[in-house]
Amino acid sequence: MADPGRRSPKVLLALSALLTFWCLAVCAVPASAAPLDRARFTADLCGDAAGQVRGAESLVQAGGDLAADDLAYAGRLLGALAERRLACPAEGAVLFDRPGAPEGRDALTGAVRPVAETRAPVLGLRQRAAVETARGTVALLTGPDPASRAAGLSVLERRIATVPAALLDRARDAETDASLKGTIAGLAQAAALSSPDPARRRAAIAAVAASPSGTAAARLEALKGDPAYASDPAFRAALDAGLAQVGRAVAVGNALAILYNGLSFASILFMAAAGLAIIFGLMGVINLAQGEFIMLGAYATYGVQEAFRRFAPAQLDLYLFAAIPVAFLAVALVGIAVEALILRHLYKRPLMSLLATWAVSLFLVNLVRVGVGTQNLQFTMPAYVSGGIPLYADFVITWNRLFAIGFAAATLALTLLILRRTPLGLDIRAVTQNRDMAACLGLPTRRIDRLAFGLGSGLAGLAGVALCPIYSVNPGMGSGFIVDSFMVVVLGGVGSLAGTLVAALGVGGANVLIEPISGAVAAKVIVLVGIILFLQRRPEGLFAVRRRR
Amino acid sequence: MTHLTRRSFVGTAALLAAPAIIRPAFAADTVKLGCLFSSSGTMANIEGRLNYVVRMAADEINGRGGVNGKQIEVLTSDPASDWPLYAQVGRQMLQQEKVAALFGCWTSVSRKSVLPVVEQNDGLLFYPLHFEGDENSKNVVYVNSPPASSVLPAVDYLMGQEGVGAKRFFMIGSDYVWPRTINKQLKGYWKSKGIPESAWREEYVPFGFSNFQTLVNQVRSFASQPGGQPIVVLTVVGSSIPDFLREFANQGISATDVPILGLDMVEADLEGLDTGKLVGHLNCWAYLQAAKGERNTKFLADWAAYVKAKNVPFSADTVIDPMVSAYDSVHLWALAAAKAGSFAVPDVRGAFAGLSFDDPSGYTLSMTGDNNYVSRGVFIGSVNEKRGFDVLWQSPNAPKPVPFSPYG
Repeated sequence: MADPGRRSPKVLLALSALLTFWCLAVCAVPASAAPLDRARFTADLCGDAAGQVRGAESLVQAGGDLAADDLAYAGRLLGALAERRLACPAEGAVLFDRPGAPEGRDALTGAVRPVAETRAPVLGLRQRAAVETARGTVALLTGPDPASRAAGLSVLERRIATVPAALLDRARDAETDASLKGTIAGLAQAAALSSPDPARRRAAIAAVAASPSGTAAARLEALKGDPAYASDPAFRAALDAGLAQVGRAVAVGNALAILYNGLSFASILFMAAAGLAIIFGLMGVINLAQGEFIMLGAYATYGVQEAFRRFAPAQLDLYLFAAIPVAFLAVALVGIAVEALILRHLYKRPLMSLLATWAVSLFLVNLVRVGVGTQNLQFTMPAYVSGGIPLYADFVITWNRLFAIGFAAATLALTLLILRRTPLGLDIRAVTQNRDMAACLGLPTRRIDRLAFGLGSGLAGLAGVALCPIYSVNPGMGSGFIVDSFMVVVLGGVGSLAGTLVAALGVGGANVLIEPISGAVAAKVIVLVGIILFLQRRPEGLFAVRRRR
Repeated sequence: MTHLTRRSFVGTAALLAAPAIIRPAFAADTVKLGCLFSSSGTMANIEGRLNYVVRMAADEINGRGGVNGKQIEVLTSDPASDWPLYAQVGRQMLQQEKVAALFGCWTSVSRKSVLPVVEQNDGLLFYPLHFEGDENSKNVVYVNSPPASSVLPAVDYLMGQEGVGAKRFFMIGSDYVWPRTINKQLKGYWKSKGIPESAWREEYVPFGFSNFQTLVNQVRSFASQPGGQPIVVLTVVGSSIPDFLREFANQGISATDVPILGLDMVEADLEGLDTGKLVGHLNCWAYLQAAKGERNTKFLADWAAYVKAKNVPFSADTVIDPMVSAYDSVHLWALAAAKAGSFAVPDVRGAFAGLSFDDPSGYTLSMTGDNNYVSRGVFIGSVNEKRGFDVLWQSPNAPKPVPFSPYG
């Protein structure tokens, strides 16, 4: 993989010297604070794949003894290597502010050096892992604030087997933040699983069991093959207790994960189906453009993001919230326009309205495709909808899904409020129950139809906002939702929001439960068959709205 | 109650489903080439660009005076990501428009649907995607690599010391012929290396699937089991790729924990993603945008200029392997037609033996008389922060393609 021309005998010589140095560092941990051989370290990181791994690993091994300025030097170099801001001319190394800059500073001397031929080495996965660990070491030992030190620690935790005890001891002694100090101490304790001292080993087992996960279970399980398991009853008892504790926690974590996955899928289904429940329930219009309304909501969100980027870049993180009213109103207006221009004329002809909404959906998809393009839109995801935190055992809460769940709950509450507590809601319910009687009583059913269609479309727009952090946004994104949302609406009972909610929870939960057992393809089929069978027994769905005919 | 009779419904439906109109570029004393790439439906975002690359290559050849004294005329179509429609449009192009060659298809299922059409009409289809192999029709030119010269070198790299020493494999694919065949061959390959069956898992999802939470949970629990370094072999296609990557990153798995080898992953799939957390994941193709060399620099500049000049609705600075392969296809056809001095399919086919073309990847493409496969180089790319791929490894030369895998 490396350019063969680069391996000059000089580099090889340096590498073999380094090998000796590395062996010294590893085989006999230096007692006194040994300074980092910066030139060798630099040459190593600029070397071939094996050299990079060696350089990074030597830093981790020697980390417990290195002086702070050496660590800072190594950190700069490693950061530059990982971010491809490092150039390796024949002699030394040059750091850049940004990739592709015309000149940078020499890593050793700090002098400005222009580099014509820059060859920043691309890191392979093995090298990347070693460099990550080394950067974690530097961050743990020299990070300016507890957050960055904790980030360094979490990197080391992933490859705890390669981290020397001296490093953790030093970090623990130097740590000023009490809770982080405790975490480091716990990790140091857990790292002593293969210590010769039986008491420390048992403490290590307890420490590993204290932060349960699938990895912890595997680490403990491996100890069953240890000779001490057969010979030392105390060790055996400690290990069995630890394993049982981890096993229980992992099971609970997995159950939580299933619950969370089901809830998050259900919330997506509900968001997609809520608008349809109103439109289909009230007017009996099979709106095949509902998916495209969702897509429009997502594009409106994109528009809001771009507006923020231009006019209020400092508040960019808030664009998702600002997009809520915009997407609702924009899509509601589109819905009202569709109703006024097309559907109004087709109420007596349900099949024609089905075809017309299909035409609307094709029109919208192609309009967006021509107007904006087919590519996936580029969203800046604020911190509150990206990443996640491990909550318990292997259960990770992902923020984007949590956002969707909260969003769905808020939508549900708001929609119920509108339907139950406002004059419009009263009118909508009246027309849903008996259109002719409502008209006889003087309700303007046409106007209510239009507003209800607007409300239903607006809800689809909201779904678009909630889906932005989860799915890719492109003109075709809506088509994936239409079948699922009809399934949910029909199962729930036409026109019943509560039914839609229960059906979404049921379909979402069933999918998530079946998926690990029989795969995603079969899960879809099984759920569909289940729904068909259910509708055979109960064609009106779960919750039928009583209506006079 | 309704004015809609069954007959009028069928009529309307047929009208809506009528095949896309084939649009000729211009008409003169020309030779026609046909494109079968969708500009609507799930494949639109990636397939759509290939129409323009074929046009660009044709313009290039026309600028040099055309082939055998004739200018090339490119017909494009829109099979709308609807697999049977590829066959229908393909038949129309061969029988009515009398195209000299077809360039088209992305998914294997669309190629399989066109296959009988080109065989019946003795047409020629240039297929620009890497694929599952196990097919050798005299009417299809396989311009990209079969697994033995693309997937296996990449998996070998990951299993070796240079890679991550992968010992266990989680295969996730869309449920159709390409992922299933690739995975079958991979399993055969691992078996031949003495890797036990317990070391891999295989999961499939429907087309367009996007809810990857449960699967990523499963990957995490698979990764925490003992037995050595795990990797994910990802053969999902279309919009499932970014959705999977997003969930993977959100659940906190990095490439250094569990690397993903995305066999259908291209730069266009990273659009709209924050790739900071995805750095290091891999793909393998016969061309990467980051390939070194003057020919690539020129191709990238040509494409950017073409996008600007013709107002092409795709990114000027994203070039993916199938684009280059489609470009190579046109040039290979032109070279063969010029060598044969004819546009008749049997003559062109006869001229394939010994054909070679220096393409933008930096490798020299070559064909032998044995089959219609093309020798291509192998690149392994690594995702970077800028939504692109760096070249992590590339083969020293273009390996000879093996159409039929011995492993499955």
